[in-house]
Amino acid sequence: MNAPSTWDRIRDPSEKTLAVLLLAPAFLLLALIVVYPIGKLIWNSFHDLRLSGGTGAVKFIGIQNYIDVAHDKDFWNAAKNTLLFTVITVPGALVVGLGLAMLANLPFKRRWPVRLALLLPWALPLSFVGLIFAWFFHTEYGVVNDVARRLGNAHQTMWLLSPGYAFAAICFAIIWKTSSFMALILLAGLQMIPRTLYEAAEVDGASKWQQFWQITVPMLMPSIIVALIFRTITALQTFDIPVTMTHGGPGNATQTLAMLIHATTIDYLDVGYGSTLAVFMFALSLCVTAVYLRRIGRE
Amino acid sequence: MTRSTLAPNRRFLLATLALAATLTASVSALADTTLRVFSGGANQRPDLMRKLFDQYTAKNPGVKIDIETGGATSDLQRQYLSTVLNAKDSSIDVYMIDIVNPAQYFGAGWLEPLNAYVGEPAVALKPYLPVYASADVVGDKIAAMPAFADAMFMYYRKDLLEKYKLAEPKTWAELSAAAQKIQKGEGDPNLQGLSIQGAPIEGAVCTFLLPYWSQGKDFNDAAGKMTLDKPAAVKGMKEWLTLMDAGVVKKNIAEVKTPDTVNEFKAGQVVFAVNWGFAWDRFSQDKDSKVAGKVGVMPLPAMDGGKSATCVGGWQWAVSAFSKSKAEAAKLVKFMASPEASKYLAAQGSLLPTIQSVYTDPEVLKASPWFKDAANVVIAGRSRPQSERYGEVSDAIRTTTSAILARTKTPEEGVDEIEGRLKRVMR
Repeated sequence: MNAPSTWDRIRDPSEKTLAVLLLAPAFLLLALIVVYPIGKLIWNSFHDLRLSGGTGAVKFIGIQNYIDVAHDKDFWNAAKNTLLFTVITVPGALVVGLGLAMLANLPFKRRWPVRLALLLPWALPLSFVGLIFAWFFHTEYGVVNDVARRLGNAHQTMWLLSPGYAFAAICFAIIWKTSSFMALILLAGLQMIPRTLYEAAEVDGASKWQQFWQITVPMLMPSIIVALIFRTITALQTFDIPVTMTHGGPGNATQTLAMLIHATTIDYLDVGYGSTLAVFMFALSLCVTAVYLRRIGRE
Repeated sequence: MTRSTLAPNRRFLLATLALAATLTASVSALADTTLRVFSGGANQRPDLMRKLFDQYTAKNPGVKIDIETGGATSDLQRQYLSTVLNAKDSSIDVYMIDIVNPAQYFGAGWLEPLNAYVGEPAVALKPYLPVYASADVVGDKIAAMPAFADAMFMYYRKDLLEKYKLAEPKTWAELSAAAQKIQKGEGDPNLQGLSIQGAPIEGAVCTFLLPYWSQGKDFNDAAGKMTLDKPAAVKGMKEWLTLMDAGVVKKNIAEVKTPDTVNEFKAGQVVFAVNWGFAWDRFSQDKDSKVAGKVGVMPLPAMDGGKSATCVGGWQWAVSAFSKSKAEAAKLVKFMASPEASKYLAAQGSLLPTIQSVYTDPEVLKASPWFKDAANVVIAGRSRPQSERYGEVSDAIRTTTSAILARTKTPEEGVDEIEGRLKRVMR
């Protein structure tokens, strides 16, 4: 028998070649939209790349940007705010979301109004939510102070003008907005738990509280982890709500990393330094995801 | 008929068609230059610009003009334009940009120098107010041509000042006394003495500079280096806080944006208001205005022993460095910056002229009598620091100013912070 010609090899590729061929489009796409931008970001971070006010030339400056970031008070402030937002709003949204999911899972006659109410905050664009809550907490026109006044509290609290209150108001808005997404994922998980488990527990005389901790929480764990991963990553990227509510103010008390990166690259046109800040944020997201993934791997 | 007999005919036909197609193509290339113009947000009156463009295309058949409009504030527009220009987008030929942007955009290589089309700066910008000659020229290159002017004015309630027999205050201290007298006399707890912009928006840069400048101080020298006089800056910010303590400025002023001042003044809740020129039309012509016919304009008060100063704004026409029809675009810009265009905008939309002679034009004065008073304010106006890194300059000043007015920072801390941030940027 003759050795197969090139044509034959193309017409009838080996398993290995076929695998490569079939994977190639997906890999190319991934390389184009994920690997290339990340590579470019890291490349930028080692260069002096200012579109305005610089020399105009792209200059390799080694790790100078990284040294500057380490000494940058604004960076540490933004990193602290980002982590605080994450630590407060992720568990916050989990607790509220779990409550909402259990509520929606109750045997209502009509479930759709509850589910609609659940979906609504999720369907709203983030910046809308920010604007709505900015209005909510406005000193003079806001609903919050209006209610306080009707209840006899004449003092007008300037919610968005004091660092602590502004931070709390933003957390409130973020939890309101994101707990519905949590609830949707958890509701799906809740519906997977067989009714029979609860019935058996009833028979054994377990209280509702015990049922919750011994059945609901462990059975729901996979959904909780998935919801937490998504929520944590978006929490690390918090941007829209603080931008529209306080623009990072008062001062820069509510500025997050994403906002600092945006200001540096879009407003200041300092692409090199902005990229370095983005590398830090990328590393932070990567660490958090790794922790979660290890936890899933163990289970 | 055989195939061979038809062939020559067909060849002839094809050749004719091809020739015709080529001719049509070249004719239409001559006939249709489509210029795409970014014409600012609603406050920059794209409706009036459209009418001017129509006048231009009527005189220049073969040019078509498409208009694109942008965000409501200067900040939003800057963010959008930075993205478009950074991508070297060639689809927009002409941009309307805020007075604070030519230096930054030109420095980034985004704008076409206009010297070759309109002449050298000394001649081309001579008819315009001096502030534009400095803002639109970078080095010896013309980065943009003035479209229309704007400035911060002090609006006041003529009726209330007359009722209490008060003269126009010349200093902030006089203003405070006058406002308090009116507030006390009217007995309305919602009546504000003075409204300024304290939210961290572009207007807050002016809020910082107004009391500082009015002590006769400069923020920067001609080369753009910062010359901040810290004690004067602290004194200026303390003036606002004093007015707040006296109840003249409301406590949550750090929340107030430009439209808030306009709306509250319009609703009759403010005695004195600092705002841009466009507000005049809102006060006198809006249907829901409660103060139409009761509004006066005066130069901004000064600090004791100082001199009145105001913040000049305004809009410029620039040609994109990435445009494919730069010559046509520059021609359009030349028309839009002409005295005729300026006169049209002044008479039709009471947009402030950039050309001194238009202020005294009888036709313009008939449409907007208040330009008589406005001229002096604008001519004495000063421009915010020109810097290739204006984004950082603006951000540092407005964020800190807002924080001082929210009382989360003392004036001393705030001014130190501004100095620390801008020392590296403006040198």
